This record gives sequence, C-alpha cells and structure tokens, in this order.
Amino acid sequence: MNGRSPALIPFETHKDAALPLNGSDLSESSRPRGKGRPRTVETAAPSLVELLNLVRTGAANTRQELERQSEFGRAVVADRLTMLGDLGLVDESELGAATGGRAPRLVRFAARRAAILVATLDQTAIGVGVADLSGKLLTEHHEAADLTAPPAELSERLTALFRWSMERHAPQGSIWGISLSVPGAVQGATEGDFLTATPPVLPAWEGFPLVETLSRDFGVPVWMRSSVETMTMGELHAGAGIGARSMLFLKVGRRIGAGIVCDGQLYRGAHGAAGLIGSLPVNSGGRSGPLDTLAGSDMIQREGLSAAQDGRSPMLADIQRRGGEITAIEVSQAAQIGDPASVAILTESGHLIGQVVATLANALNPELIVLSGSIVQTNDILLAALREAVYGSSHPFVTRDLRIIRSQMGSSAGLVGAARVASEQLFAPAFLKEWVMQGSPLAHPAFTALKDRFSQTASPPPPPRARTGQELPR
Amino acid sequence: MTISGLGPHGERAAPPERVSLLPDDRTAAKSAGWRVAVVLHTLESDWAKQQLAGMMGIFGDCGAAVIDVVDCAFSPEMQVAELDRLISQRPDAILSLPVANEQVAAAHRRVSEAGITLVLLDNAPTGLLPGKDYTALVSSDNFGLGKIAAAGLSPHIPDGAKVGVLGFAADFFATNEREIAFNKWLQVNRPDILPRIHRFARIEDAATAADDLLSANPDLAGLFVVWDTPALAAATRLAERGATMAMATVDLGEAAAIALAQGDSFCCIAAQQPFLQGIAAAQTVILCLLGRPVPAWIALPGIGVTRDNVVESFQTIWRQPAPREVLRMMGLSRGK
Repeated sequence: MNGRSPALIPFETHKDAALPLNGSDLSESSRPRGKGRPRTVETAAPSLVELLNLVRTGAANTRQELERQSEFGRAVVADRLTMLGDLGLVDESELGAATGGRAPRLVRFAARRAAILVATLDQTAIGVGVADLSGKLLTEHHEAADLTAPPAELSERLTALFRWSMERHAPQGSIWGISLSVPGAVQGATEGDFLTATPPVLPAWEGFPLVETLSRDFGVPVWMRSSVETMTMGELHAGAGIGARSMLFLKVGRRIGAGIVCDGQLYRGAHGAAGLIGSLPVNSGGRSGPLDTLAGSDMIQREGLSAAQDGRSPMLADIQRRGGEITAIEVSQAAQIGDPASVAILTESGHLIGQVVATLANALNPELIVLSGSIVQTNDILLAALREAVYGSSHPFVTRDLRIIRSQMGSSAGLVGAARVASEQLFAPAFLKEWVMQGSPLAHPAFTALKDRFSQTASPPPPPRARTGQELPR
Repeated sequence: MTISGLGPHGERAAPPERVSLLPDDRTAAKSAGWRVAVVLHTLESDWAKQQLAGMMGIFGDCGAAVIDVVDCAFSPEMQVAELDRLISQRPDAILSLPVANEQVAAAHRRVSEAGITLVLLDNAPTGLLPGKDYTALVSSDNFGLGKIAAAGLSPHIPDGAKVGVLGFAADFFATNEREIAFNKWLQVNRPDILPRIHRFARIEDAATAADDLLSANPDLAGLFVVWDTPALAAATRLAERGATMAMATVDLGEAAAIALAQGDSFCCIAAQQPFLQGIAAAQTVILCLLGRPVPAWIALPGIGVTRDNVVESFQTIWRQPAPREVLRMMGLSRGK
C-alpha cells in the first residue's frame, strides 16, 4: 500500500465491535464457569443459534412456527426473540395475514443489519460488490484488470473499489466480512473458519499478504474460494440452479473447471480441488494434450489468429487490418455472426469439452449442466457442440431429463456465490454460537485474537507461510 | 474504437454491428405488426430526444407501432406505476431506462414475467439477469466516458491540485461507471491530483452541491460532473460566485456545446452517441421479437470533444448542423 491508501480503521471505532446486550458485558459468557448452574446467557446461545437460523433460512416466520419447529416453549421463544431483536438480528415490525384471529407478527431476519464486501479476481477482470447478510447483492461493478500485474497494485485497486462501494452502500461502516473469489483452488479454507493468512493461490502472489491486508484494513474476517466454487454457489442460489439437487457447472476460459453440486450442496473435495477437469487428457486431430490446452480460450485465440493470417477468416483478418486485437472473444463473436473458420474453431472446442463432460455426467447423473465464461456468453456455437457431444456420448438414462444451458449471470455468479459463502460461514451454527450473544461476528473470540495479533504486529503484516504443494489452476 | 468498460455483470461488450438488421429481418418484422412502448427517465434532454429519433426510424422501417413514450421525470415511483400500466396494455416489447436500482427492479421483472420483451437502456438494476429478467442492455461505454473526461481535464490541472467530482447520488450503473473510471484514471495517471467527491440527488440540487463542494474546498482547480445538465447548472453557480475552473462532463447537449465553444470553463466533454444508441436499441428489440439471439450487453464507444473538434463532433453525434452560436464562436459563421 502506498501513501495514498486510506488509514486503517481502528477496530475500537467499529460500532459493532462489542455490542453489549442490555448493557451487560456478555463477553464473559464465553468463559467457562467454575461451578454452579449455568447462567441464562450461557444457556441461551444454542437456542438463539437455532431460532436465528430458522428465521434466516425462511423455515419459520412467526412465533408459532418457531415454537413448532424448534420445540422450544412459548416463553423461551419469546425471550430469545426479544434478545435477537435487541441485537438487531431479527425484526418483528411487520404483520402477517390473519387466519381467523389476530394477524401474527412476522419474524424477519434483519439482513440489512450489516453488509458483506465481495470480490472476484479473474485473469482479465476484477469485480466488486456489496451484499446484505442474506447474500443478496446490493450493487456490483466490474472492470478490466491484469492478474499478472504486481499483487500490491491489485490489492490497492481492490481496496479503492471496496471503499467506494462501502461509501455508497454501507455508509455506517457496518461490514461483517469480506469474501473473495480467486482463480485457483483454495487450500486451507476449512468449513466454518475465516482465513488468518493468505493461502497459496497463484505463483505471482506468492508472499503477498492479501488476506492479512484486507482483514487489517477493514477490520473484518476474510473468506476465499475458487472462482468455479463461487460461481457454482451463485448459480445454485440465484441463477439457473435454484432448487437443483444435482448440478454440474462449467467455466470455460483459459482454464476449464467444473463445480459439482450433490444433494443441493457444493462438493469441494478433500482439498478444495474438486472439478479440475482442465488437466484431463484429450485427443484432437492427431494431437493430444490437456483439455485446457486443446479447448480453452488460448487455443481459440491462437487458432483465430492463424485463420486471420492464412486467409481462412476474412472477418478476423479485417479486424486485424483495422488494428483490432484478436482474442477468444473476437473469434466467438465472429462465429456467432457466421464466420466459417471461427465456427469450426468453436465447434472443435465444444466437442472436446463435451467429451469430458459426458464422462462426468455419466458418473454423477446431474439434472442440470450450466455453461459459463466469457466465450460462452458471446456465443451459442460452443454450447451447441457441447450438447451434441454430451447427448451423443451419455447413457440414455443420464440424458433423459438433462438440461444443458448457458448461464445468464456472467461474472455476477462469482459475486453472488462469494456472498453466499460469507453468509453461510457467518451463520454456520458452530461459528454463530461463538458470537451471537455479542450481536456481531467481529466479537468472535477467534477474530478478536486475530485483531490482537495484528495490533501487536508492526505494519505491514507478516508474509504468508511458504507455498507447499502444487499449483492447482482453475 | 475499443470499449474499455465491462457490462453490469462483467460481460464483454458486443458492438452495435452485432444487432444489424438484414433486409429479410425488416420484411419479417413488417408482416408481424408489433406494438412497442418506450419508457425513458426524461423526455426533456437532448440525449433523450436523439435516442427517440434513432429508435423511431428503425421501428418505422420495421412496421412496429410505438404505442406509448413515457417520461418518468427521474421518479422511481412514477416508473413503477407506468410499467405496471403498460403491462396491462400488453405491448410486444418495452424499451426502458431504469431510473434507479432496487426501487424499480421488481417492476422491470414483472414486465418480463408477463411475457413482454424487455430491452434496457443504460442501466441494469442489481439482481436483474439478462436472458431471464431482461433481454439485453444497450448503453454507451460509460467507463470509457469517465476516462475520456479525466484525460481531457488533466492537462488543465496543476500538480498536486484538488479536483471536484460531482456525482449522482442515485445508484445508477451509467453514472457509477463514469465516476469510478474518472477516479481510476486520475489514480493511475495523475496520482498527484486530489479528488474531492460530492453527490447530488436531483438535477435541481446540482448547483447547491457545487456550492457546497467549493465551500469545503475553496482551492479546487477543476470539476467533473457526471452529465451535462447538472454540469451547466454547476458552472452557472460557480460563475456567480466568481470561481472559474476547468470543467469536464459527459454528453454534448446543445447548451454544453455552446459552453465548450465559448471556452470559459468547459475544456472537455465525453460525448455519447445517443442517435446511434437509439438505433441499436430498436434493432435489438426487433431481433428479439424475431427470436434471434442477441448479446447481453451492446455498447457504443464515446467521443472525446474539445473546442477544436466541437463542430464536427456535434454533426457526427446529432446528425444535424452545430448550433449557430457555436459556429459563430468558432469563427465559422458571420451571421447573427
């Protein structure tokens, strides 16, 4: 960070940092008591967690429904709702529809109690957004960026865009977390935990403390997932995959990766590296190599350039003659408006990806396959070729009701998915029970310990641990 | 000219040529006899008039009847009510410029849920998705416009000086992009300049906002305002206070062109091409109604206009002669 960077936000100035309940110091409640019966505040946490999550997920929205679903008594539900209301986590101001007697008060999750900052870092673009606590995006912005630029530059740009977004959509500064989507498998991101150090994601970022910088500057916990994982989460919760129990999500760019949804949940694998299909070997026209190399956007760009130069594509040659750059996007757009050479390139790519996807489809029997990535967005030919390959190479049972569609969310899928990652982690029962009594995750004992560590460390924060293991491109 | 921004969901821009109509398309459209409605933020501005002129020509060529043109007067409430009214009239397509973000999102969603083709202009409320909630967005490269304005203003700003940025308080894709791009260009190319941001909620408040900005920063060396109408109001107020400074804005309206030719304050205007944008939007509607796939985001590049090229730029953008006052100030017309 250079001298123009905004000053660090002192943790003490965060209005959420230690919100006392009814004026009492409840931070004590996380300490074990030596003897005697547990105090009410100590026993309240599990019921608060359960009731809050019933409200948050929409499973119950009246006191009667909460009593029925939780099997807590009326007095307990009333007491806990008062506590959650005092903490600003639920709202009971709205009346529901009367069904004979008095209209019931609706119990709503106070999703606007705080906000989540989200960002996607891609090979060629950076996206930022602000989401509410339910994971709903309130605003988003995308701009071109070069991921090979020095990480300090990217970090500075990210910080500037976060500050701008906060100013517009979270003027009170009540931010509860940052969630990042990055173009690589994220190791060390276990469920329910925020990151305390930057995991190895890209070689160019080695040694740069991105997580530490953001966590320190904004005073909030940071989560990170691969772009395929966040996009899959976004598609599952806000895109074509709403309600899907089994889904395959495919991202086609320089790398080709898959997101796998089983029983309505994202499957991450043992190390967060599930779905790395781009490294699978394929054969094409006597050549063999990884799917990334033979069907990814680098291949499309390379073949497009070649077609422009050897006269096969007058349309691409014309773009070049006018000084335009030929990327995979230009080839895709040329294919879409009928350039034969470009159509052939995209068809080849679609067939190769389809062969690999057919194998996955036969193994997993998904109800839905969603194709995403900038090439897919500008082009229907790749989708058609992939469909042809999957339908032609799969068992009839697998394709009987299978839908293969293009994502409509663009890069928003990554931002929405990143927001869902943070909201699910913030309210995961094991994490929530540690902060719910204080009313803010910024008072979570593990996070306060991290803040203490930062406050004892001279700026800049320490570099992350040395990279181990192989890079897992996605 | 390349497009430097990304779409509201990170889409790469498709050029307007991508939605060109072939003679067969026009013939097929004529036999269909479609009914179309247009919902704009205002009908008062030169920009809106040129957009409409571009659209009407294409719809006329394709035999599509424009059954209503709505002026929302920048009011989200009015836009919601008007969209609901139009839904009941069951047009085949609605072209709409959403005047806000969250407040008008649901009403736009209701349009597509009613089976009416929806093409957006300039703004896509957060959460609305192309292909699902709307068909396509047609806009200028607003990120590029912000960069053009910053690059045009920069030579007039001394080292280490302050520049005011008068943004629009409403959450609006187009003006957000311009403001972000303007600041980014300065951060990358002129890190010595200190931007001071202030926003206005309504056009009528722009002059007061400029006043406030100047009172808080009496040493401002320049000002960027996110479009021309509030920029002219701000310039008038600043002149009344005796403060003249280099200004840049977006949109080459007639009054802005005159101000630029005058050379007192405006040094650069990043101009949209509303006439061509109107053509592209209408063509997108026709292609959608014909069942042809269209890109999620179609963007038109901006044009950097200075005093040196104001006459020819005006002709390019508006498809009409530059105002006589501009010609006279440039020494090209000697009449009154």
